[in-house]
Amino acid sequence: MDFKKRLKTAENDIYILAIESSCDETAVSVNKNGLEVLSNVVSSQVEFHKKFGGVVPEIASRKHLELILPVIDEALNKAGIDFKDLDAVAATYGPGLVGGLLVGLTAAKTISLMLTIPLIAVNHIAGHIYANFIDNPDIKKPLLCLTISGGHTDLLYFEDLKGYNILGRTRDDAAGEAFDKIARFMGLGYPGGPAIEKEAKKGDPDAVDFPRAIMDENSYDFSFSGLKTAVMNYINNQEQRGEKINKADIAASFQEAVVDSLISKLIKAAEEYDVKSVVLSGGVAANSRLRQAAADEVKKMNLDFYYPSLNLCTDNAAMIGAAAYYQYLDRDFAPLSISAEPSLRL
Amino acid sequence: MLILGIDTSTDILALSILEDKKLLGEYNLSLKRQHSEKLIPLIKEILAISNITPEELGGIAVGTGPGSFTGLRIAITAAKMMGRINGIPVKGIPTLEVMAAGVRADYILALIDARGDRVYYSFFKSNIKNAGENITTNYSVKNILDLSAADLDQMPDILYEYKDKRIVIVGNKVKTAAEILKKYEFNVFAAETENNFPRAAVIARLGENYISRGVSDNIYELKPLYLKKAQAEINWQKKYKS
Ligand SMILES: [Zn+2]
Repeated sequence: MDFKKRLKTAENDIYILAIESSCDETAVSVNKNGLEVLSNVVSSQVEFHKKFGGVVPEIASRKHLELILPVIDEALNKAGIDFKDLDAVAATYGPGLVGGLLVGLTAAKTISLMLTIPLIAVNHIAGHIYANFIDNPDIKKPLLCLTISGGHTDLLYFEDLKGYNILGRTRDDAAGEAFDKIARFMGLGYPGGPAIEKEAKKGDPDAVDFPRAIMDENSYDFSFSGLKTAVMNYINNQEQRGEKINKADIAASFQEAVVDSLISKLIKAAEEYDVKSVVLSGGVAANSRLRQAAADEVKKMNLDFYYPSLNLCTDNAAMIGAAAYYQYLDRDFAPLSISAEPSLRL
Repeated sequence: MLILGIDTSTDILALSILEDKKLLGEYNLSLKRQHSEKLIPLIKEILAISNITPEELGGIAVGTGPGSFTGLRIAITAAKMMGRINGIPVKGIPTLEVMAAGVRADYILALIDARGDRVYYSFFKSNIKNAGENITTNYSVKNILDLSAADLDQMPDILYEYKDKRIVIVGNKVKTAAEILKKYEFNVFAAETENNFPRAAVIARLGENYISRGVSDNIYELKPLYLKKAQAEINWQKKYKS
């Protein structure tokens, strides 16, 4: 029993089933030749976590176990593909919440063993970069990618799957986490990103001068805890003085501070590294203020600028399947003994 | 019929293959937290050593706990996928039932450590007539007190009406439980080491018993015996629904 004799090359059609379960979406896709997405099913658990104001790992793990089979079935049905048509199976193995990762990874390993097809273990962050290629296959490389979501804030330099490295990451909260916490503090609801963005549209971004994280000049790392504390202190002080809180102004000013912090590092990297394009990914990349600010700055530098469509911005399996295809061509397969790596880096 | 038995609810990874009441192979390995790394490779290995291809499997029996949530989810995910891909029945079996079915006695008290002095317990009666005499295969048990949690000190009260029966205690804290019950003149015995964990061969045997009688679980609904809601949920209810 070995799959090695049956491996295909790029001249053949290659079908990959991909599973993503690193946070609070149970997602499965079927990809044909990497970037052709035959199905991309995402079952979001956001409703179950809403009342807690954030993702509860144990609840997420329970949901992943419940959802994994129906979501796989739906992805196969929508793609019109049967298990026996698959050439490989892929799953995210990190970074993320270990309970959820293990459900997706174990499902993928079992499929690999039962069907005698290779297992491909994909780094979630690499997946976010590939989300861009699904929409725009011709993005020029090397590129810079800023991945921002509830789980990560990473600035990457990317040439190809083997030639990429992290330039900077957050030292405390992820950008999306900061949005969630401030939205919860202000009673704006969950998830925080869209809630803050909506409120900010009615406010003045210059109303309050919140601090931009001043990090070491030579570092591309981010930090949002100082800003988060500043916003909370500001609101508390206003309340103590009996002054009326202008939620819209605070949301707009907070959002502006986050956007500024992100863009300044992104532009600094674009000046220092010889790249052809800049791409955004992750759930926070759906923020229209951030997209606009990034687009303006990047175009001034004569670089191409991309961000994926909304359903590819947030966590999904199609991006994992896309990255997996190139790993397949490289014969970069994982052993069945691979385990989840919750704090996986590049 | 080939039955694959799996349990990863404890530190021990239990895996076995049974063919028509004949044990083909069994692993019971103390792996602590390595179930995720070892389970699928060991399934591959036991199939290969037994000369069986995955398509030949006729059913899966999987332990449902109570036990380590992470461990349980790994085995149950694998069981669901095998059931789905091969179109074969899957039967979830509570860990306490597995341990009880692994010993011979008229009555069996099965215990799993909860925190502190607490235990999860189930009480079983032998299903086999003339238990204790010449019974070597297909031994199974009937649950007469459903899975609950209690302090060990409460056991004499809980089992009061079985005071004059011969009871074997299996699982965790068996010696302590036996001492407590003996103080109240119960006729109890603590099981030995090899019976105090969910043994792979027993899971497969019970699975075969169930599946051959047409009893199996819906793989879309199969889940661990969590026994309680996630802590965040409990806290939330305390805060908002008191
Ligand atoms: Zn993500």
